[in-house]
Amino acid sequence: MSEPKKAIGQSINRVDGLLKVTGAATYATDYKLKNTAHAIIFKSTIAAGKITGIDTSEAEKAPGVLAVITHKNAPKLNEKGGIRGGAFLQSNIIEFHGQHIGMVVAETFEQARYATRLVKVSYEKAEPKVDFEKHQKEAVLPKNNMDAVRGDVETAFRDAEYKIEAVYETPIEHHHPMETHSTIAFWEGDKVTLYNGSQIVNGAQGAAASTLGIKPENVRIVTPFIGGGFGSKGGQWANLVLAAVAAKAVNRPVKLALTRQQMFNSVGLRQRNHQKMRLAATKDGKLTVLAHETTTHCAINNEFVEPCGDCSKVMYEVPNSLISYKVVPMNIILPTYTRGPGKSTGSFALESAMDELAYQLKMDPIEFRLKNEPAKDPSNGKPWSSRTTVQCLQEGAKAFGWEKRKIEPRQNKQGEYLIGYGVACGTYPARQQNSSAIVKLIRKGTEVKATIELAASDLGTGSNTIIAQTASDALGLPINKITVKIGDSDLPPAAGSVGSVGAASFSNAVNDACIKITDELIAKSGKQFFVRPTAATMMLTEKLTEFETRVDAKAPADAGNYSSHSFNANFAEVWVNSMTGMVKVPRFLAVTGAGKILNPKTARSQIIGGNVWGIGMALTEESVLDPRWGNFVTRSLAEYHVPSNLDIGTIETIFIDEKDTIPNKLGVKGIGEVGIVGVAAAVANAIFNATGKRVRDLPITPDKLL
Amino acid sequence: MRPFKYSVTSNVNSATKMLTANPNAKFLAGGTNILDLMKEDVERPDELVDITQLSLTLIKPITEGMNKGGVSIGGLGKNTGTANHPLIRQSFPLLTQAILAGASAQIRNMATNGGNLNQRTRCPYFYEVSMPCNKREPGTGCGALEGINRMHAVFGWSENCVAVHPSDMCVALAALDAVVKVQGANGQIRSVPFADYHRLPGDTPQKDNNLNQGELITSIEIPKNNFAPKSYYLKVRDRASYAFALVSVAAAIEMNANQIIQARVAMGGVAHKPWRAFEAEKFLAGKEATEANFRQAAEIEMKQAKPLEHNKFKIELGTRAIVLALTKAMNGGKAS
Repeated sequence: MSEPKKAIGQSINRVDGLLKVTGAATYATDYKLKNTAHAIIFKSTIAAGKITGIDTSEAEKAPGVLAVITHKNAPKLNEKGGIRGGAFLQSNIIEFHGQHIGMVVAETFEQARYATRLVKVSYEKAEPKVDFEKHQKEAVLPKNNMDAVRGDVETAFRDAEYKIEAVYETPIEHHHPMETHSTIAFWEGDKVTLYNGSQIVNGAQGAAASTLGIKPENVRIVTPFIGGGFGSKGGQWANLVLAAVAAKAVNRPVKLALTRQQMFNSVGLRQRNHQKMRLAATKDGKLTVLAHETTTHCAINNEFVEPCGDCSKVMYEVPNSLISYKVVPMNIILPTYTRGPGKSTGSFALESAMDELAYQLKMDPIEFRLKNEPAKDPSNGKPWSSRTTVQCLQEGAKAFGWEKRKIEPRQNKQGEYLIGYGVACGTYPARQQNSSAIVKLIRKGTEVKATIELAASDLGTGSNTIIAQTASDALGLPINKITVKIGDSDLPPAAGSVGSVGAASFSNAVNDACIKITDELIAKSGKQFFVRPTAATMMLTEKLTEFETRVDAKAPADAGNYSSHSFNANFAEVWVNSMTGMVKVPRFLAVTGAGKILNPKTARSQIIGGNVWGIGMALTEESVLDPRWGNFVTRSLAEYHVPSNLDIGTIETIFIDEKDTIPNKLGVKGIGEVGIVGVAAAVANAIFNATGKRVRDLPITPDKLL
Repeated sequence: MRPFKYSVTSNVNSATKMLTANPNAKFLAGGTNILDLMKEDVERPDELVDITQLSLTLIKPITEGMNKGGVSIGGLGKNTGTANHPLIRQSFPLLTQAILAGASAQIRNMATNGGNLNQRTRCPYFYEVSMPCNKREPGTGCGALEGINRMHAVFGWSENCVAVHPSDMCVALAALDAVVKVQGANGQIRSVPFADYHRLPGDTPQKDNNLNQGELITSIEIPKNNFAPKSYYLKVRDRASYAFALVSVAAAIEMNANQIIQARVAMGGVAHKPWRAFEAEKFLAGKEATEANFRQAAEIEMKQAKPLEHNKFKIELGTRAIVLALTKAMNGGKAS
């Protein structure tokens, strides 16, 4: 008997690809509800102080206006309900520039926007804390202390022969998904339905319910498609509940979409990080010290700290280690999770410093890393469930042509260009989170079809597709007989598309459900089988028309006894124009060990996306604040530079063939985050190799290379 | 955006009359800048006069008059069509390169030639209506002067305004000594030398150019020249596409054996108008085309620059950019 071809592991096209390219996929604001009104938010023009007066009379009289809602007439909501960053019109206090201070609801989008211009606001200004340069010395230990110490860093560093001490700066960045945060809200009695891009469906449901002061079962979140989020739609922001407030106020469905300009101070950001690194090594390249001290900022009365030291905790064997954090509350919107939170920014510091020390040792940076490979997780002593750093480095070096690289910089010239190679590693934890799933089987004649239901989300990454692939294999049905229903809080609760847990959590829950339904069908038949039949076969042989089951899936019980991570090695080739300082990245290679790759095609897209983000982090992305007023002067995608097509050359991806069923039964580790980790350092290290110039503050714009 | 009246016209005379009659009216051509500005509440016209139906799109050889032998490009021709027109590609490749260095393909497909000249600065303080800006609201101050001014001017700025003109196309047109043909409500066409078209901010930064209310750019004339074999447009920017210039240089050289007969150098991203580097040009005339001479010319030009807090790098970058652009021009203008 020949084994049927498995769907898992195949480069299957996205099951929703046709819907997307034809525009038929329904994103949050694509739902056509009768009689929908439009809400536009308006924002504070100071960063600290309070509103002393707000005159909405002219706005209220403007054509088409249905309501103007400010802190003076907004309903009292629960400020601890789980909406991130506040700003849902509960008081006259201003905590950051661009805080929401009201909204206009009107018949049309343009009428609403026009009326916002007619609102007159007076303020009592306070001195805003917006200048990180000035205020970072006031930073204190975070309430959520993440510091970790091992050995004696100070003595070992003092006595070390080979060492570097340097500060690495990363700027404020924004997520800027293509789909700006947008919500349609409509009430039916006490129940509200919210069409809203939500990376965590049940999280959005809980936060909306708690904030609005209603029962979770009275909130329905609908989010089958999300136009990107990158962490900014992980937690939910004020727009979600303000849409509900507006819909209630006008007793109609209300559509609330943020403009691109409003995205800069509405839905979090990646904060600026000042990372002081101290690394020391013996002459033969054994690390003796790794100290990673991060200073950063958070909202004025709400703490969030990116764990920049995470990679430093686990990447290398080192007897003396210090990971520490300080944070200064400032009048800047609450920072939040941004792709590869802590790891992408932290790896820039760690992997640049490793490159600097390797150069000081006159050692190949790959060799230096291999010498410091830890046998177990140095942060907690747990065994690795698997670790692929060595393979990633070695296979990558071969594929990239690393042997052509010279240790000394400025050795490779072409016309006015200096060419350099850089390498950097990365890691991201692998976890499975609790998810439930229902599988429903229906037979008509000889055709069996399945529907899979769970409140998962698809950010555009391909969750729908990998769920269908998993079910196809586990049920013994072709993929086109599988219908996937996700993105709805009425479905069984599931993990979110956050922290690289989505693929592992969704696929294992669905796999468990499919195994369970097969078990139940076999049990129901009362028959014995030498070869385990598929659920599809059982439906046919037992002549059942409908059958369903549900599981509540969890990670394996002993997963916590191991340290489980995805790992990568990034290789960059850069061409630096020695006259203008402009940098090209014609070639990039990411080698990733991320366990079972469910779909190489969508996985590759994920890694490429992460790589492009990392190249943007290295070269172009920065949100700039005016330190006098706290406003962002990078106000649109014309000034906030994500890489353009022309900035990206060839990106190659290699996946290490890896079987690790410790973190979860299917051996899926997750790839959403790891693709960006180490990328910026690889580019910066390549720029050093090309030019001899070490740039420690991102982004590396042309002026920094003159 | 604010409510406005939308009017359409299909002849130049009535277009100019409509705009003269209503001082709060603006022309709508490609709409790639005016509509953004209206959405952001920066421009607040109460009437838009749609001129897209006017027949001002032709690109044709000039057969008579002062610029005979040159090329006339229609004010309403699209940037993409202009860049790719055989007459432009053959005779004025500098203009092709400059246009294609600007904006994105989508924007160039919509944007018109006249609109390119009249687009407004991208200074963020100009765009953010809660910020001070003398250009948007005279008398409120310049937000950028002591603010974030990395992208701003190093030449010709005033305390009132440090914004730069955003165009690439205009830098090439400045270098090529183009002439702007404008028609007013009286039906008369006047010719404005390119160097006099845009203004320095002085104490009236709200005026970008010397176009009078109601006047319409009917065409832009480029006089015949011998620069085609040796010209180059260099744009230095923060990313490879869809970014405004940190510094750009349009360079063109006419040689006689080893000697430079004349050189043209214009810069973008450095001033309130496309900046003709007259000092550099003067130095180069009659010299040999050596890197040392290019460098000296560049240094002479950049010596006049007065940087702001965040754009001091533009002095060194501008110097290098002039040298590189002239060098590339000598090499036949091939992009590397």
